[in-house]
Amino acid sequence: MKRILNWFRLRRLEGDLNRELQYHIDGRVLDLVQSGLPEPEARRLAARELGGVTQVQEEVRDIWLSRWLRDFVYDLRFSARSFFRSPSFTATTVLSLALGIGATTALYSLIDQIVLRTLPVDHPERLVLIDWIGFQYAETFGTSNLMSYPICQDLQQKKDFFEGVLCRAATTISASTGGEPKLTAAELVSGNYFSLLGVRPALGRLLTTDDDQTPGSSPVVVLSYDFWKNQLGGAADIVGRKVLVNQYPMTVVGVAAPAFHGIDVGEVPSLWIPAVMSAQAIPGFTTMLDRRTRWMQIFGRLKQNVSLQQAQTGLQPWFKSMLDEDMRRTNVSRASAEQRRRFLASTLELTPAPQGHSVLRQGLSRPLWVLFVATAVLLALACLNVAGLFLARGSARHREISTRLALGASRGRIGRQLLADSVLLAFAGGLLGVVMAPIAVRALIAFLPHNTAANDLHANVDTHLLVFASLVSLATGFLAGSAPAFQAGRKSLDSSLRERGGTSSGGLLLRRGIVTAQIAFTLILVVAAGLFIRTLSGLLAKGPGFDTSSLISFGIKPALTGYSDDEANQLIRRISEEIRTSSSTRASAIARVQLLLGGAWNNSLTIQDRQRFVTDREVQLNAVTPGFFATLGARIVAGRDFNEHDALNAIAVGQSLPVSQSGRRVVIVNEAFVKRYFGGRNPLGALVAMGSGPGTKPDTEIIGVVENISYRSVREQWEQAYYPIGTEFSGSNFYVRFRGTPESAFRSIRAILRKADPALPITYFRTLDEQIDRSLNTEHMLAALSSSFGTLALLLSLVGLYGVMSFVVTQRTREIGIRLALGATRLSTIRLVVGDALVMIAVGTAIALPCVWALGRLVESQLYGVKPTDPVTILAATFVLCSTALGAALIPARRASAVNPTEALRFE
Amino acid sequence: MPSSRFPIPQGTLDMLILQILSLEPAHGYGIAQRLEQISKSVVRVNQGSLYPALHRLEQRGLLKADWKQSETGRDAKFYSLTRSGQKQLRSEKDSWVRLTEAVQLIFDEGAAQ
Repeated sequence: MKRILNWFRLRRLEGDLNRELQYHIDGRVLDLVQSGLPEPEARRLAARELGGVTQVQEEVRDIWLSRWLRDFVYDLRFSARSFFRSPSFTATTVLSLALGIGATTALYSLIDQIVLRTLPVDHPERLVLIDWIGFQYAETFGTSNLMSYPICQDLQQKKDFFEGVLCRAATTISASTGGEPKLTAAELVSGNYFSLLGVRPALGRLLTTDDDQTPGSSPVVVLSYDFWKNQLGGAADIVGRKVLVNQYPMTVVGVAAPAFHGIDVGEVPSLWIPAVMSAQAIPGFTTMLDRRTRWMQIFGRLKQNVSLQQAQTGLQPWFKSMLDEDMRRTNVSRASAEQRRRFLASTLELTPAPQGHSVLRQGLSRPLWVLFVATAVLLALACLNVAGLFLARGSARHREISTRLALGASRGRIGRQLLADSVLLAFAGGLLGVVMAPIAVRALIAFLPHNTAANDLHANVDTHLLVFASLVSLATGFLAGSAPAFQAGRKSLDSSLRERGGTSSGGLLLRRGIVTAQIAFTLILVVAAGLFIRTLSGLLAKGPGFDTSSLISFGIKPALTGYSDDEANQLIRRISEEIRTSSSTRASAIARVQLLLGGAWNNSLTIQDRQRFVTDREVQLNAVTPGFFATLGARIVAGRDFNEHDALNAIAVGQSLPVSQSGRRVVIVNEAFVKRYFGGRNPLGALVAMGSGPGTKPDTEIIGVVENISYRSVREQWEQAYYPIGTEFSGSNFYVRFRGTPESAFRSIRAILRKADPALPITYFRTLDEQIDRSLNTEHMLAALSSSFGTLALLLSLVGLYGVMSFVVTQRTREIGIRLALGATRLSTIRLVVGDALVMIAVGTAIALPCVWALGRLVESQLYGVKPTDPVTILAATFVLCSTALGAALIPARRASAVNPTEALRFE
Repeated sequence: MPSSRFPIPQGTLDMLILQILSLEPAHGYGIAQRLEQISKSVVRVNQGSLYPALHRLEQRGLLKADWKQSETGRDAKFYSLTRSGQKQLRSEKDSWVRLTEAVQLIFDEGAAQ
């Protein structure tokens, strides 16, 4: 450390040393003169006694800086000077390294933020996610790792293992702080949430266990720092003020610390609400205390000295007895025998959760790692390219190096000089890369799914990233420089001095090796690009099974602004009627669950056909208005669509009134359902019922079969059953097929909604085309990035190949001249050069193919409709690579064929 | 130069410098003179190695240096012991004594036989 400091004050140190030595010599001379020696003699003697002033200075400098560091600094200075002399070489190498380092850094930034970063809470390493593995026999609200609130309360008693246990659920609420209500993300949490995480308030207080005792009794909220700053202007008197949560007044008790953004990096809540207020925060949700409703993620903080394994094993006996008890105290007893078996076979699992819980992470960590590997390959390619360029430059500098060796420089010293070259370049590249990285990160974030919740992702360069980028740069520098350094250290001195100027064979074998490796890497990237492009185009070509053009979808949630069920139904009916009669509407319909958003309503069905049986897996359900399929353009392949009678019957059934006329409840199923459960036979007239218990009575008639349309995502094809919409409109999703431009349709629908209620919360509003794009954003990201990586890689390796082949041709000019003089044809010289290139291409391909096979497993889950070893893709990629590579080799080959024999022989 | 003087043993120069500076602060030339006087021309100190040694000791934090006016009126760099320098000197003296005693013991043993 001191030595590095010394570097910065070298000038002063030098001055001091000179004065010190001067003082010594002057004093000695004075003494010697006094003892009778003549002055010139005395000076000589004084200097000799010291052993030479310069030597002493050198030795002392070594102490200041250490020899190695000092020489390296000189090397860097020398390298910098030589780089300024060849700007085009410098620009090429710096730019290719910057691309590689920038891309790697950008992806690392995202991976760090989404996958790796731990929560800014106390001891995140002791946080664990507690999850039920198996069958819960419960209604599900939410995404993943869900359990009921009572289980969380049970777990809070397990003080042998946990310091505490918290639960949380993410939700969307409408929040109003005086003005119009706005939809925003909120987190429903247990009272110990903040204290257990160790989060401190920025203002007021945070929630406590007192706020989480009796349902409905604690209308208090804690605001996030950003919400307080941005939406409330950081008002100092905020504590004690009211916020309307879904029109229900709640008191602000405090603001959380600025750094705390909740425990989900993909969904940052604006406010925290006690779980006991769930009925107010989630309209219509009344089953907080029900053991058969799973809606919260549960986290525990392990006690010190308790390992995850100990806790997991220790909890099983309690968990098993709870299962037995649940069997008796809840309606699990109504489940089928198979379901009871699966229920009782469940286990409790703890997983480390220092990064919290994130749906975004679950979906993205695989694609991100795939892309990270791709950028690493790209970086390796850039490294190889720079190494190749260095070797080329090394052979140009060959005589300089030989001369330095002859003058007594050690091989290590020369090697280090070359290494200094590449390290300097790598850091220049790294610097440029770090400048470019935030732009790339911003572009990447744009690819990610976004909804009402803000995410916690940013494109800032932090110390984390700087450390990463400089480590990568250093590694790059060493990798790129080691080949030339090795080469310089190996050559025999006298043979190289004896060689004629300009025709040295400077590491040709090594350069061939590098180009071969480049071709291998490139092929891997091009195959990956091909696979992802085919996946995306396959999904786009498949589509959702209905015509998405001129189709708009939007959702409204009247319950969030305080509408009662009846009022909401009236409002929806009014809006629906207005839209239906609007001049820009061709057709419109309503569905309870939105399509292509990743969510679905699932349940098992009991089918009464020739015999009675229960579906072997859950069926995807939806409720739709008559005309839904016609609006989407999905064909009814058998039977009929719903009509108004069916809807009225559904209402009657919902309200336990007598069912009129035909008197049956009805359902429409899709082709996949018919294929799986009826073996393709006509299912019309068969009876089904929701649920699977022995008491379930199949009383709903299948009246129609619709073609398969996508529900959760374009990728998936599943068994579906549709019910007519009855009373429960809550959270309605409108589908409108419009005339004219989307803009005019948007305008007229917005006008209708504003007229109905200006404050009505609209959850989303977009064309179906956009919805499809959004649902495929991961695929878009993979295809776009992998194809740009593939193109870059192709470019880099073509440059490399071209460079080597040009070099070979220059080197063999004499030989080619002789061949031509002896009667070889132009064609045969072209064949000579191209054959050389072909060997590299073939070997590179041979290396790449097994790698493609091995890496296939990494990407398999991201693909659709193609296997990672898809022969067509691999053949096409190989063809693209080979043809472009041959093109690059042909240019120097043509130059070889144009050699003039007389000139070539004279050329010396 | 008289050949009866033998070169200073390896590694002892640092100790001698510390010892000289423990009496009073001195500049480089002063240390050289004192080494010459104290050793009564028995030990030959290569003056060339004096300055590297001083700078090494300064770097290790055993010495500190200040520019002060010297007896001739010119500014000279005066070295003095730091606290850890004093400690270092004590321990080096200690081990030196132990070493010489041990060597002496071995010599005595040889003489006794």
